[in-house]
Amino acid sequence: MSSPSLPNARTPTIQISEEKYSASLHVKPLGTRVQFRCTISTVNPASVLNPFVDQVHEHLLKAGAKDVRVDFTELEFCNSSGFKSFIYWIQKIQAAGDKQYRLRFISSPARKWQRTSLLALSCYSPSAVEIG
Amino acid sequence: MTTEPSTTPRPIYLMLRMKPPWVFVDEIRRFVESFCSCACPGETREAQVALAVHELMQNAIPHAGGESVDLTLQVDPAADRIEIAVSNPATDEQFADFKDRLDRINRAPDPLQSYLRAMAEAPMNQRGGLGLARIRFEAQLELSITREGNRITVLAWGRLRAPQLQVSGDTHV
Repeated sequence: MSSPSLPNARTPTIQISEEKYSASLHVKPLGTRVQFRCTISTVNPASVLNPFVDQVHEHLLKAGAKDVRVDFTELEFCNSSGFKSFIYWIQKIQAAGDKQYRLRFISSPARKWQRTSLLALSCYSPSAVEIG
Repeated sequence: MTTEPSTTPRPIYLMLRMKPPWVFVDEIRRFVESFCSCACPGETREAQVALAVHELMQNAIPHAGGESVDLTLQVDPAADRIEIAVSNPATDEQFADFKDRLDRINRAPDPLQSYLRAMAEAPMNQRGGLGLARIRFEAQLELSITREGNRITVLAWGRLRAPQLQVSGDTHV
């Protein structure tokens, strides 16, 4: 299990890398993107993902972000325990008062589970979730 | 006398018995998705069925205590039905707890509302609490549980040709 890391000050990338999946924050001039890769299917992924979400959320609040792209295009699968980390993220956004930002999910049409999972997330919080 | 091949598609069965370390769950999900694609060409249920199998297996494995977990998948194109059964050993307490959770989920007539409530109530820092509601909404399958001896079987079933999920306007909690 790895903790979120900030590699160095010049590349403020927050990232985690597990045996089955990874997640990373990419800050670019055109906007911020959080990418999830491979398969989130371990027993309790929240123990790794929630601290990552905490760090990303703090970064976005400090940056005054209005939205962030959440890239699922290389995410093969996410189990319900991992899915809860995205609910956790939404709950943190909802608690952020006037600093709230939106999660703009980018999905892959080839990974059909993503459509229904993101549909459910958008119903959970229409104000915080947008499906691209 | 010759026998003409039947034009009515027959039910297709898949049965797996595993003493499963957790790591095989991904392989099973991939296999089920591929199996459904082959068994029902032209249908679009494979990803939903694979998701349901994954969640049911993840529920079953922690309770199996080293004993086998059995998966049975039945696809019946003629009857427009798909059925998944996952069985594992369970104690009286585990059965009662599972049945209680399932009853609460099934009590809500709208699978989406039930799922949204589970999202709002599920503990965020520990596993569990969302999988069954996820199956009911995302995989569009009904759920029930039976017990025989020391084994429980969770059954998930529904239409093979389920309509595409749609939600209407103000559905959030």
